[in-house]
Amino acid sequence: MIHIRFISTSIRRLIFSLLFLMAVTSASAQVKFFSFQKDSIPTFRGFAVSFDLVGAGLMQFTDNGQYEGALRVNLHDEWFPILEAGLGKADHNDDVTHIHYSTSAPYFRIGIDKNMLKEKHGPYRLYVGLRYAFTSYKVDISRPDFLDPVWKWETSYGIKDLTCKYHWIEAVVGVDAKVFGPLHLGWSFRYKRRIAHSEGNLERTWYVPGFGLYGDTRLGGTFNVIVDI
Amino acid sequence: MRKLLYLMLVMMVAACSSIDCPVDNVVETRYTIMDNEGDKLTLSDSITVWSTRANGKDTILLNRGIDIDHFALQISNSHPEDILFFSFDKTTVEGNDTTRFHRQDTVWVKKDDYPSFESVDCSAVFFHTLTGVRYTHNYIDSIVINNPSVTYDPYTVHFYFYPKTDF
Repeated sequence: MIHIRFISTSIRRLIFSLLFLMAVTSASAQVKFFSFQKDSIPTFRGFAVSFDLVGAGLMQFTDNGQYEGALRVNLHDEWFPILEAGLGKADHNDDVTHIHYSTSAPYFRIGIDKNMLKEKHGPYRLYVGLRYAFTSYKVDISRPDFLDPVWKWETSYGIKDLTCKYHWIEAVVGVDAKVFGPLHLGWSFRYKRRIAHSEGNLERTWYVPGFGLYGDTRLGGTFNVIVDI
Repeated sequence: MRKLLYLMLVMMVAACSSIDCPVDNVVETRYTIMDNEGDKLTLSDSITVWSTRANGKDTILLNRGIDIDHFALQISNSHPEDILFFSFDKTTVEGNDTTRFHRQDTVWVKKDDYPSFESVDCSAVFFHTLTGVRYTHNYIDSIVINNPSVTYDPYTVHFYFYPKTDF
């Protein structure tokens, strides 16, 4: 069941945001924002690959996390179309409720960043950007049999291979600094909004690959090791 | 700027978490007692409801409800049909005469059960879809399913309960 309400709300907000942006910005400023600076540097500046250490750290030290990499195109050190892909996993056993939750699935994000620094070709970059993200995943939820509290029958509780889909957008703010040669380090803060989802008859799933734990926060982040190629 | 990079790494790994379980977390069936006109009816007779556990012993679900126009009953987690025993009692004293009124009915509630999941932090619960109800007619005139969906919602009336009026 795709929740059309969320889609329409998100689209409406996006349209209002864009209209507001257009209203407060003059036409010439818009053209300037979307165009490249005029200088002798070529437009295509190469590719960069990156790997997120935060997700990998979560994967190592907690029961959920993700391995995530990205391929970024550098257009004149100003615009950076980016494709991010990862594998998100959760394998959680709750000591109190005895519920076991597991899922493992790939996820994808596509978007673009803009370097907001005046000095575009320097060793530092300050990004703002947007992503559209999608994942399709299966969830297993189980717990050991327990007694019905009134009738005292054995009760089996579980959900097996529930197919779910999740679409969301992320607003990104990040920095990137050249460390040595082609090596950069950078972090990004992300604000996530679900725009559509399909989770069977569940209210929500606990962990969504790439999105993280639902309900904790809409904020997230990455810390990236980036190599120019 | 490089120091800022490393500081952010530490901050991002140290994330916090919260438990987000619903406050209204009782799954019950709710009955509203109605008269033939479709208005709420307050019963002067006392109602007791019980069922039989897996070990064959009885368990009380509603104990001597008096002057009530609605009541709620537990529903089993995962059993295709709950069997409920309703007892209706009233004692009338007029002068030296004591009159005892007693009727008993059996109600069978059929349902589909499905697991509900909020979070790994929340207890395992089942929601239900009521698929049928049948009953004996000693005191009960009829029971009608108003809303078949049994969830946490504390405001849903699942059954309209019509007692006989010719006593």
